[in-house]
Amino acid sequence: MISINNICKRYNQHTALDDINLTVSKGCILGLLGPNGAGKTTLVSILNGLTPYQSGTISIFGLSLHDNLPEIRRRSSFIPQSFAFYENLTVMENLRFFAGIQNIKNGQAKNVISQAIAINRLEAMLNKRANSLSGGQKQRLNIAIGLLNNPEVIYLDEPTAGIDPELRNSILQTIRSFKDAGKTIIYTSHYMQEIEQICDEVAIIRQGRIICHETIEKLLNKENGTSNLETIFLQLTASEEAPC
Amino acid sequence: MLKQMLQKEFILVLRDKHSLAALFIMPFFFILIMSMALKDTFTNERALLIYEIVDLDNSQESKMLQDFMSTSSFLQRVDSKDSSDTHLSITIPKSFSNALLEKERQEPLLQLSAAPDVKQEMIMIFQAKLSADIMRLRLMQIQKKIAPYIPDASQLNLDRFHNEKLFDIDYRRMQDNEQPTSTQQSVPSWIVFGMFFVIIPMSTVFINERKQKTLMRLASMNISIPALFTGKVLPYLLINQLQVLLMIAAGVYIVPLLGGDALTPGHSLAGLALVSISLSFAAIGTSVLIATLAKTVEQATTVGGLINILFGAIGGIMVPKFYMPESMQKFANISPMSWGLEGFLDIFLRGYGIKEILPEAMALCGFGLCLLLLAATILSKRLRG
Repeated sequence: MISINNICKRYNQHTALDDINLTVSKGCILGLLGPNGAGKTTLVSILNGLTPYQSGTISIFGLSLHDNLPEIRRRSSFIPQSFAFYENLTVMENLRFFAGIQNIKNGQAKNVISQAIAINRLEAMLNKRANSLSGGQKQRLNIAIGLLNNPEVIYLDEPTAGIDPELRNSILQTIRSFKDAGKTIIYTSHYMQEIEQICDEVAIIRQGRIICHETIEKLLNKENGTSNLETIFLQLTASEEAPC
Repeated sequence: MLKQMLQKEFILVLRDKHSLAALFIMPFFFILIMSMALKDTFTNERALLIYEIVDLDNSQESKMLQDFMSTSSFLQRVDSKDSSDTHLSITIPKSFSNALLEKERQEPLLQLSAAPDVKQEMIMIFQAKLSADIMRLRLMQIQKKIAPYIPDASQLNLDRFHNEKLFDIDYRRMQDNEQPTSTQQSVPSWIVFGMFFVIIPMSTVFINERKQKTLMRLASMNISIPALFTGKVLPYLLINQLQVLLMIAAGVYIVPLLGGDALTPGHSLAGLALVSISLSFAAIGTSVLIATLAKTVEQATTVGGLINILFGAIGGIMVPKFYMPESMQKFANISPMSWGLEGFLDIFLRGYGIKEILPEAMALCGFGLCLLLLAATILSKRLRG
């Protein structure tokens, strides 16, 4: 589904991504872990065609990202960490706007909007302005907008940052339901527990390099099941060598 | 896609009370206030100079001079005891009547005293009137002196010369009996000024889009920068046209209700549309560039407001260009507000059409296009990291 080969990205003298190789299969939830500034957001941004890269190749749906960006974008969705919608529009107006600019036809737009509302439990707040919603409700709207084009791949950049634990669980349940719908997800987060809870695989980035890419199960089993992801992450990111 | 962009921008502007106030209420009140405040500057209904006369001669001639002076509508005489408000004071010396025809005089015929704030051109207008009246008095005295020798001379009606209408004033390209008014001057000025205030709603939306990564999200939905800019330019172009229509309507219908002169919007609707769209393009280009460069909404609205005030002050919005010295009038031409104002004045005041406003329209469009291209280049670089 997603194949990343030898990707390098430099900002002037700083190397943000160094020879990244990663494969994500269809229907998989991949957790992208790494300390601040490790290159997670840069990688997600590159996968969306928002940031150019210096070398390497990327293929999504079997199509080269470089040559088929519009087609790949139509079939994927990027959900940023910030609330990337219009605070002075109502929930419904936001959904209609983002459906409209993606040229989703009228009849189809009604369906996808209804689905996005149902999945994210937004029914009670459709006529509320976005600026009057709570943090959790805003994040649900943020995710709902990302579902409007019925994407096959979803990139979620720290969707639970700053959300209280109760609402966080409801958002995680929603994300988990995407897997059941056969969607492929790349998920960046600081919360190890979340990654452990919902992801099938985890890739750990340190200083622009992937130092570990394993299934959660295998990674935890390596430590004879005695450790949790947080401990493993801390060990891996502290170590000088690539242990996976 | 454009339909959604238009709808979104319109809803956002309509819900932003501060922007609505800056776009519609501020220029509306400026038009009302300035049209009324400058009303008398453009008509001859108000006396331009207030004067007093101290008559030490008390002769028939000095009385006649006072009568002649009192016929002028732009001069108002007050009693000597109210002299604190006078612009000019005339002292008629005791020897006035005798000195009228004297060939060589030691003293001037009259003494003038002017308040320090009286403009030179006003003193010159007053002197011209006074000289004409003294000339009239002299002619009357000469007529009296030569009458015994030339009997026909007494038949000559000197008042006829004085009351004769020597010329008529027609204002070029205006209807007969039509005069430029303060409304014709004020409406274009404040339309131009108000149009540049699109910076407030535009920067509020645009900077929030950037900060919240909505622009990034839109880019990931295949929205290109030209499409994004079209989605910004078109709604604000329409908002600007709505401003122009409402401000013209205020000049035509509301200013007369308050006792001011009604605006006559010229004779070229196409010319008006062209100058209005071109100016809007320049205002939107400026706003998009400021919104692209600014980091916060506060920064954009402060810098944008300052630039608007500077453009306005330089461009003849705050102080009409004809009040400026020649060097400042030339300097005013660097402001796009001046180009827009001249375009509107060409239509409203000078009765010109498309052909005459084409240079201003092209300059405004070129200016707007350059700034939009610069903003697009900067934004593209920033979005691509």
